[in-house]
Amino acid sequence: MSERDYRKRLEADLARWEADGLIAASAGAAIRATLRPVPEGVTIATVVQIAGGLLIAAAFLAFVAANWSEIPRPTRFGILLAGIASAYVLGAWFDRSARPYLADLAVAVGSIVFGAAIALTGQMYHLGDDFAGGMLLLAAGSLITAVLTGSRGALAVALVTACIWNGMRVFEMSDVHLPFVAFWLICAGLAVMWNARVARHLVALAAIVWCVHSAIGIEEDHVANPSFAFVAAVAFLLGSGLALASRGSESIRAFGLTLSNYAAYALAISLAWVVAGIFGLGSRELPTAIIVLGIAGAALALCASAIGRRLGPALVALAIALALIVVSGEITTSRLDDPWLMYALALASMLCLVISGMLDGERSRVVAGWIGLAAVIAGVTWAAQGSLLRRSAFLAAAGLAAVALASLLGRVLPKERN
Amino acid sequence: MRRLIDTLNRIPRVLLFAAAGLIQVALIVVIVIDRLRVLREGSEVRLQTRPVDPRDFLRGDYVVLNYEISSVAAAGLKDQPVPGKHASVYVRLAPNAEGFHSAVSVHAEPVAVTAPDVLIRGRVLYGANCGGDVRLFCDRLQLNYGIEKYFVPEGEGRQIEQPRRDGKVTIVAAVTPAGRAAIKRLLIDGKPVYDEPLF
Repeated sequence: MSERDYRKRLEADLARWEADGLIAASAGAAIRATLRPVPEGVTIATVVQIAGGLLIAAAFLAFVAANWSEIPRPTRFGILLAGIASAYVLGAWFDRSARPYLADLAVAVGSIVFGAAIALTGQMYHLGDDFAGGMLLLAAGSLITAVLTGSRGALAVALVTACIWNGMRVFEMSDVHLPFVAFWLICAGLAVMWNARVARHLVALAAIVWCVHSAIGIEEDHVANPSFAFVAAVAFLLGSGLALASRGSESIRAFGLTLSNYAAYALAISLAWVVAGIFGLGSRELPTAIIVLGIAGAALALCASAIGRRLGPALVALAIALALIVVSGEITTSRLDDPWLMYALALASMLCLVISGMLDGERSRVVAGWIGLAAVIAGVTWAAQGSLLRRSAFLAAAGLAAVALASLLGRVLPKERN
Repeated sequence: MRRLIDTLNRIPRVLLFAAAGLIQVALIVVIVIDRLRVLREGSEVRLQTRPVDPRDFLRGDYVVLNYEISSVAAAGLKDQPVPGKHASVYVRLAPNAEGFHSAVSVHAEPVAVTAPDVLIRGRVLYGANCGGDVRLFCDRLQLNYGIEKYFVPEGEGRQIEQPRRDGKVTIVAAVTPAGRAAIKRLLIDGKPVYDEPLF
């Protein structure tokens, strides 16, 4: 819930409680007095200002591009440096005049101009075409800017370009690219320090992108089962996120929760894809380091369960364990038969995710689990292997088992009271 | 990290914005100075080329340069394990009878060379995917030295096309002792057509 929505809801509640006589008017006033002023949002005038600024910048860029090759090289170089400097001068001016959104935008534009300057300097001076190296330079420059100015836009530029850098290095090396992790940890630290929602989401998304790239690198290198490696990596993120969410400051908890939610989505989707046969298991190798990573994810989820004395994270640990078994490729079946056990474990894993989300009151995890359940059922239905009649029987049996489980839970668990 | 943020919060915001801009400007300047150092300090080598001139969106014309040294025999590296699909290798160049530098040997690590030989660092484009489960060097390697693109004013790329077909285009590159290279001059029929200024 955004700060503005919270304030609206609080104001409505306070007015109702005062009218109902639940609290005195002085108590309501005291609660209102404890609230900080709501930060100024993006107004229509600001949006129009932003659009105008972008149009002028585009016009200037088109004008320079039209005459670019006629301009002497040192002048071109000077224009690029001046472009970067002007963006920051503008940013400082907006910041000074208490317009943080515009200041952030100016810094983000400065980082983008910095990226364009890297590319154009490369062209002007015939530099080697190390595209990934250029991306790293842009990512590092933008990250430094984000640290100095607190710009969320610059952090976004840094993370996007760092992901491209990582992807290109993975393509070059056909292996997992670990230097990205160091970069990501700095970004994660920044997201925690700022306690900013957009930063948390960007950092969590970048972690998933790294897992995807790493799985591709492993696939290219033929050193391990890439599906297992991906699931183990997102399982580790899921477990770590839950562990962070169970202890520490509010910003660490919020970061952990966001990370765990993105990892839950990634786990659900990847598991469904494996069941549907879209992701092959590739090499059957399961290196110890990757197995340990997956187990660590489950163990961290159990730790979160123990710390918070909640059942939800324990069910996540179970979901992780079942998912790891499914993607391990260790469940063997005859070539003509369906992998019934794999289907059953995949469904159970996603059911655990849904229930854990419900127990923790975490809607994103519930949605992730439902998406996983739906996708696994679709995967089982449309899998190319085996007979459709048998799959129909399996789905009916799975459905009956779920209804029986629901009935049992309805008897065991206490009824909700309104 | 918290200490860093606290320290930054004590500094006037305008100075932080100025520092951010200056750091990015400095990074760009460092790239150009680094290239300047390669051009100034590198040993000169003449290389026979085979350019083509595709268009590059928004970046004007450039000629793509293929060199005789772009494809080399792996020799001693053949069947050796490769650290990555696009691993770096070092090629020893020596002047031949026609005055061009040609590849003499390829090495996985830098080796000592004496003038007029030079050592140039290349990245494997193709030829690092032989072997079964383990990636090994093949018998021939296609290499990229970072001097394969030369940007020319718009419309001038095609003027180099015909001399390319006739094998009349050569370049002079500067190569540092560490193996890094930069184009210094582009010649047609032995006459300089583009001479790289330092700035």
